[in-house]
Amino acid sequence: MTLSEEQIERYSRHIILQDVGGEGQEKILNSKVLIIGTGGLGAPAALYLAAAGVGNLGIIDSDVVDLSNLQRQVIHFTPDVGKPKVESAKEKIAEINPDVNVTAIHDLFRADNALDIIKDYDFIIDGTDNFPAKFLINDACVMGEKPFSHGGILRFDGQTMTYVPGSASYRCVFNGPPPPNSVPTCSQAGVFGAIAGMLGTIQAAEALKYIIGKGDLLTNRLLIFDALKMNFRTVNVKPNQERLKITKLVDAEQASCELKNG
Amino acid sequence: MRFYKSPSNLIEEQNQFEVDIKAYTDGHINPVKFKAIRVAHGVYEQRQEHTYMIRIRCAAGGITPNQLKKVAELATLYGSDEVHFTTRQEVQVHNVLIQDVIKVIRGLNEVELSSRGGGGNTIRNILTPPLSGVEKDEVFDVDPYAIALTTRMIAEPDSWNLPRKFKIAFSNSALDTAITQATCLGFVATIKDNQKGFAVYTAGGMGAKPMVGHLLLDFIPDTKVYHVTRAIKTMFDKNGNRRSKYSSRIKFLWKKLAEEGFKELFYEDYNQIKDDESLNLVLEPIENKAKDDISLAIEKVESPEFEQFKMRYVSKQKQEGLVAIKLPLVLGDLLRRDADRLCDVLDQFGDNTIRCDRAQNMRLRNIPEEYLGNIFNAIKKMEYTLADHAAFIGNMINCTGAQTCKLGICLPRGLSTALRDRLANSDLNLDAIPDFRLNMSGCPNTCGMHHVADLGFFGKIGRKDGNMYPAYNVLAGAIVGKGKTKYAEKEAEIPAHAVPELVYLFLKDYIEQKEDYNSYQEYLEAEGKALIKELCDSLKDVPDLADDKSFYIDFGAKRMLRLDDMGTAECSAGMFDMINVDKRTMESILKKNPDIATIANEELYTIMFHTARMLLVTRGLDATAEEQIFSLFGKHFIQTELIDIKYLELVEEAKKKNYSYLSEHRESVIGISEAIRSLYKTMDDSLRFKASLKQPKQEIKEEVKKENKTNIEKDYRGVGCPMNFVKTKLVLETMSVGDELTVLLDDGAPIQNVPNSVKLEGHKVRSQEKDGSGHWKVLIEKG
Repeated sequence: MTLSEEQIERYSRHIILQDVGGEGQEKILNSKVLIIGTGGLGAPAALYLAAAGVGNLGIIDSDVVDLSNLQRQVIHFTPDVGKPKVESAKEKIAEINPDVNVTAIHDLFRADNALDIIKDYDFIIDGTDNFPAKFLINDACVMGEKPFSHGGILRFDGQTMTYVPGSASYRCVFNGPPPPNSVPTCSQAGVFGAIAGMLGTIQAAEALKYIIGKGDLLTNRLLIFDALKMNFRTVNVKPNQERLKITKLVDAEQASCELKNG
Repeated sequence: MRFYKSPSNLIEEQNQFEVDIKAYTDGHINPVKFKAIRVAHGVYEQRQEHTYMIRIRCAAGGITPNQLKKVAELATLYGSDEVHFTTRQEVQVHNVLIQDVIKVIRGLNEVELSSRGGGGNTIRNILTPPLSGVEKDEVFDVDPYAIALTTRMIAEPDSWNLPRKFKIAFSNSALDTAITQATCLGFVATIKDNQKGFAVYTAGGMGAKPMVGHLLLDFIPDTKVYHVTRAIKTMFDKNGNRRSKYSSRIKFLWKKLAEEGFKELFYEDYNQIKDDESLNLVLEPIENKAKDDISLAIEKVESPEFEQFKMRYVSKQKQEGLVAIKLPLVLGDLLRRDADRLCDVLDQFGDNTIRCDRAQNMRLRNIPEEYLGNIFNAIKKMEYTLADHAAFIGNMINCTGAQTCKLGICLPRGLSTALRDRLANSDLNLDAIPDFRLNMSGCPNTCGMHHVADLGFFGKIGRKDGNMYPAYNVLAGAIVGKGKTKYAEKEAEIPAHAVPELVYLFLKDYIEQKEDYNSYQEYLEAEGKALIKELCDSLKDVPDLADDKSFYIDFGAKRMLRLDDMGTAECSAGMFDMINVDKRTMESILKKNPDIATIANEELYTIMFHTARMLLVTRGLDATAEEQIFSLFGKHFIQTELIDIKYLELVEEAKKKNYSYLSEHRESVIGISEAIRSLYKTMDDSLRFKASLKQPKQEIKEEVKKENKTNIEKDYRGVGCPMNFVKTKLVLETMSVGDELTVLLDDGAPIQNVPNSVKLEGHKVRSQEKDGSGHWKVLIEKG
């Protein structure tokens, strides 16, 4: 493909970068990224990936926009309340960048549709807000040999890591969902809106780096930050061959009060 | 800690170098071209063919104990089992075979050392006084500047292909012990209105045509070091003489332009960038302190020997309780065993404990005074140092000379040893002259720094009855200091074998008379110079060869002086060497055949081949296949009408090796050969043609496609920044390495930005010329 004059101008600040260039930008335009959940993490990730020109963006979410989402889920606007999130997101993406072809799936990401959905994508972003979904995404990506970015936020804290086939998975770090009594109750589970943006954009950057094949991904490293102290650190993690053997996907029940913070 | 950071593309460059080495050993690259590649990687061929020396950058002379141990290990594995300290505050590994060169270079990566830019037309090792940061009377520590500047400069791709080498030094006080006026660009620390800054000197240099540097800027704030360096580098790159390696250093640019012209060019570049704070160096403070948790037991030593050692070699640092130690090496050599022992002890005191100095000795620093006994004992255990001699002995400087250097005439290493034998056990009180500088070079090049000596020598050939014997020129009286540096002057000549006696007698007189004079300078003027002449005159006689052969065999040599294995300088290999190979080959055939009718057909073809190849390099073109050489020549020299179009058929026939055609058109063969050589004469010093280039014609573009070489032209006039660069970059991405792109750009920001950005991406900017309408035509070669 050759870039049009308009594309050259639109993506000029990418093209200038030595590590991106025209070749990298073309890779981005030809790429396919799936974002699971268009909430706190999915919103900024979708906005930046759309702006960057990811050619095919899949978004899946079964929710509708709620007034309480707007404090952090920046892709949805006040008039969108009551609208399916994927529809709201698709409208914004079209306005940001007509180059992007959006596949909107208004459904739950479940054990029975997971492998079928991810198979068409190059990279998957976990923007969900609950442990069962996170483990399901992990297991599906390990089974389907798809790279993905895990992300999670709570209160002022965020964590993220990137999996590519062969590296440590989310399950290698956390064997399974936490026991019920260790999970914060609803009243404890606020979230500082801006950190959704911090983490979601890190996930978007990881996806783009993977697509252009440059830099070091957060593989075998878990990035943790505390926005209250504004401390960032990475913890090295190792692949666990036992935990990388996934033979079957299951839909687990959320152990405690659903933490719709994602 | 580390003393510089290697650029991120170093590994890629090393991989390419490995490919080039293989291509050379397989015979696909000629030795001249390979030389240009390898010297820029700090790899020099020694006098013995196929044996190499690798020079390793030590910014500010700094190296950590760990790094030094690794260098010693690599030397043992792949070279001779010692590390050599140079007069430019670096270390070298000697006697490495070609197949091991890349192993040494990769081994250095493990400890973040690099040989990149060790030689060639590059940014060389940046020097500072060996006591910077610890000396009591210094203005301020200049090491952080040298280190940050090194890291910055070696990351810039245009640092590797300058017209000639580019040397930089910093001094920490007006004593100017780094001798900034003897270098291309020098910074002397100064405080003005409570602000840290530097006086800047430029265009100095030693060598066979020595020049003392000139004051460029009275004072710059310390934040502008990079801006000044960048501007000098840019002007050097643009205006330096690439045609003759003998007049290509910055000092010759000053000479050519005179002060006013030089400064005008400098300010042209400097004013453009001087207010850009984003270019400020990022300084990392260098802590001069010992490690907090030293796990060594203190070794107490009490002996007269220890006291003498302290008197000779130990000085207190400005940091309370810490001392600096000079460790004199024998001819700059450190054995691996000694390196291991010493570094194990030094490691206990931290990373910041070693500097190399210009007298090829080691300087140790940041040692708590109470541990001095430990250091003394460690040095005592070393097999090969001069620590039990007076400091004078270890201060003597010599280059490696004809032992390894291809240019050497004499063997100053041998002379140095002979001097040591003569002086160390004599009746002279050498402790009276610990700072006396006795410097020796094997040839007129100044690797042994004879220009800045109190008493200096450089090798020459003496002749008696047609027989050659080793001899030296004798110089004396250099002055070093901020703004007052003066080089030593030649006083006399003397056979090499008489030097030890000359030095002994001269020093004996000086030591005796010393107290009567305020300075060595005064002594020299009053009686020293006369004494040198007198002594040289009395020692000048050389016995006849038949009576005594020894005068004809240099110190340390096994046979009579001979120069048949001398070669050309290693460090400056560049375009002109490659051009000269072609030029000389043609000229020698023509010389051999005054009557052109006698030139053999093969030789006619040879002339055609060298004609075609000679100036391809100036267009940034490179080809090894003979057919391709003729094609490129046709495209770039005949289609552009640099060479008369009437020769097109001749070139086509030569390409087909049609000997009978060449034989029938021998006048044309001579004609085209003359045409290319006179074209070379019309080129300016930066190897640009004065004649304007015409674009290759259409039918040739078809030809171009066949050989997969492209020449595209794009018009970006009226396209602003950065879109002009974006578009240029996108076109380059579609091209192959070696292809050419010509872009038309507006004056102002576009011409100031696009070529530099293109270079930073690894492409080459072959030329940029302003046309009559004020636009710029920039020729880029995809890198």
